[in-house]
Amino acid sequence: MLKIENLHVTANARPVLKGLSLSIGAGEVHAIMGPNGSGKSTLSYVLAGRDGYEVTEGSVTFMGQNLLDMVPEDRAALGFFLAFQYPVEIPGVSSTTFLKTALNALRKKRGEKELEPVNFLKLQKEKMALLGMDAEMMKRGVNVGFSGGEKKRNEVLQMAMLEPKMCVMDETDSGLDIDALKVVSDGVNAMRGKDRSFLVITHYQRLLDHIKPDFVHVLANGKIQKSGGPELALILEEKGYAEFYGAGEAA
Amino acid sequence: MTTAAAKEIFMESTPQNAAALPWLADAAAFDKEKSADWVRALRATGAESFARTGLPTPAWEGWQYLNLRPLSSMAFHYAAGPVVFDAAKIPAPLLGQHRVVLVNGQYQPKLSSLPPHVTVMSLMEAAEKKIPGLQDHLVRLGDLAATPMMALNSAYLRDGMVLIVDKNKDVEVPVEVLFYNSGDGAAIYPRVAYLLGENSGLTIIERHMGEGAYFANAFIAVGQESASRFRYYRFQDESGKSSHFSYLDAQLKKDTSFEGFSLSTGAGICRQECRLQLLDRGISSNIGGIYLMKGQQGHDFSVVADHFEPGGASAQHFRGVVDDKARAVYQGKIHVRRNAQKTDGYQSHHALLLSDQAEASVKPELEIYADDVKCSHGATSGHLDPVALFYLRSRGIPAKEAKALLVQSFLAEALKQITYQPIENICAERVAAWLAGRGI
Repeated sequence: MLKIENLHVTANARPVLKGLSLSIGAGEVHAIMGPNGSGKSTLSYVLAGRDGYEVTEGSVTFMGQNLLDMVPEDRAALGFFLAFQYPVEIPGVSSTTFLKTALNALRKKRGEKELEPVNFLKLQKEKMALLGMDAEMMKRGVNVGFSGGEKKRNEVLQMAMLEPKMCVMDETDSGLDIDALKVVSDGVNAMRGKDRSFLVITHYQRLLDHIKPDFVHVLANGKIQKSGGPELALILEEKGYAEFYGAGEAA
Repeated sequence: MTTAAAKEIFMESTPQNAAALPWLADAAAFDKEKSADWVRALRATGAESFARTGLPTPAWEGWQYLNLRPLSSMAFHYAAGPVVFDAAKIPAPLLGQHRVVLVNGQYQPKLSSLPPHVTVMSLMEAAEKKIPGLQDHLVRLGDLAATPMMALNSAYLRDGMVLIVDKNKDVEVPVEVLFYNSGDGAAIYPRVAYLLGENSGLTIIERHMGEGAYFANAFIAVGQESASRFRYYRFQDESGKSSHFSYLDAQLKKDTSFEGFSLSTGAGICRQECRLQLLDRGISSNIGGIYLMKGQQGHDFSVVADHFEPGGASAQHFRGVVDDKARAVYQGKIHVRRNAQKTDGYQSHHALLLSDQAEASVKPELEIYADDVKCSHGATSGHLDPVALFYLRSRGIPAKEAKALLVQSFLAEALKQITYQPIENICAERVAAWLAGRGI
């Protein structure tokens, strides 16, 4: 589904990703763990198409297409989704308007008909209940006055509504208490399926207790330093990232 | 002083008034007309004052930012005779069926239709009828030397109308006042008074529009007797080649409320000036506006809320979008006099710049002489947030649509101030149409 090969990325004239390769098959859940500054967020932003990052080498193929050539909205239409580490506040646009505009834009691009307002609201209500969200929130401006946890729930709600094929979740666990973590994880687990893949970026093992990954990768110094099964996360939790800094320097 | 005496002053051409004289040349036509004494006197005072000052220059307090230079290279003439126009060009009312039409400032009774409890007459008819209080509102203008556009309007005092609402009557339907202007080089000087009787209510929708490169310079007087409620909405859609100046002076008495909102998109040069005088206790005023500027348009909102007595509340909420090389100005002032304790004053202005060459100049001012008041202001200007734009696009919303959504959400905060829903809706539609016209 997603194939990243030898990706080199520069941000603010500083190399951040230095030859990252990663392949994610349909239905798989991958986790990337790594210390601060290892390039985790850069990876998520480059995949989503944010300005300010220069790809100097390498390629990213998604659903058989060159992802890096596309504008962000086209990536979304193809089924790519990034749950932001810091969701953006947009005063004046209600969450409902925002979601409806997004969903209909995606449908239009895929040649589908716009959703009837009644059906949209029904769908939204259903997904919100799943995430334990209050209807009142959706009348407010997007993320305006939301707590950290509410913002993250809202990201997962958008993901549930837009039904992407590839979900990248950038530190979705940060700002969540234990209960919220469980609700959000349940929401994600409910979306797992053979046609949908996940890339979960996190600092902590904690999230991976709830969202069980098929593969775990360690990102340090701009490269995947080690890959393994879920057990790798447990080792990292115990030993930390120290040994991977060394490996990065050596490479 | 008579017009003739004023003329002597400006007939002596000096370097100071050489540029002012052509602006006053057509006022001589009034010498042959029979007019009330106070009308003649006001014309003369206005002419004399303008002859001394001419148009304001950037050296003038309050005129530093708006570029008036394009005006000096053009010649404008006031036409004294009845205006000839094509009635087919007069658009239908925006809302409802009641309205007053002014063409180049001249009241058109045949095109006008009024609801019960509202009386309208031409300004000159009103002057003859000696309507109580009218003279006060039209003559007590303050210092004309400090307001040259008003002095010029006074020199040409004739066109316009007076609208009176009976006391104790709430006119529930809106009344549109259409200022339709046309003619290259036409100078247009309407003067309008809205007089609200005690405990009355009125909703006015003013539309300023037209065709050609004209110069429209209007003076609007608002007189609100105690406990009256006024909603005043304004659409400035003047022709792109025209210039629009207006000065609104509102005298608000005890327990009145004033709500004003202006949506401004037209004219090459526009200045909307407003002075709200909160003359007694228990008055609340809320004035706001939105401007949408492109090309080389210049736009200026200059607003003063002047608190005389205790317990008044005034708010100003202005927002605008500036694209291309357009230039916007906001000058807002809250003036709290010594006696006006417990005043609650607020003003805000936020500008969104869509291009690197767009400009916004902002001057918020608080002038406070009472010691127990609550006054604050907020002002920002900036570009669209690239992170917000990316966020919307990352959800599949195309760039253009995302940009439009952000601009609309920015302006929505100002539109929220409008309490009359149909007007808020029309404003939102106008914003969408403006954005679509820009390819956004």
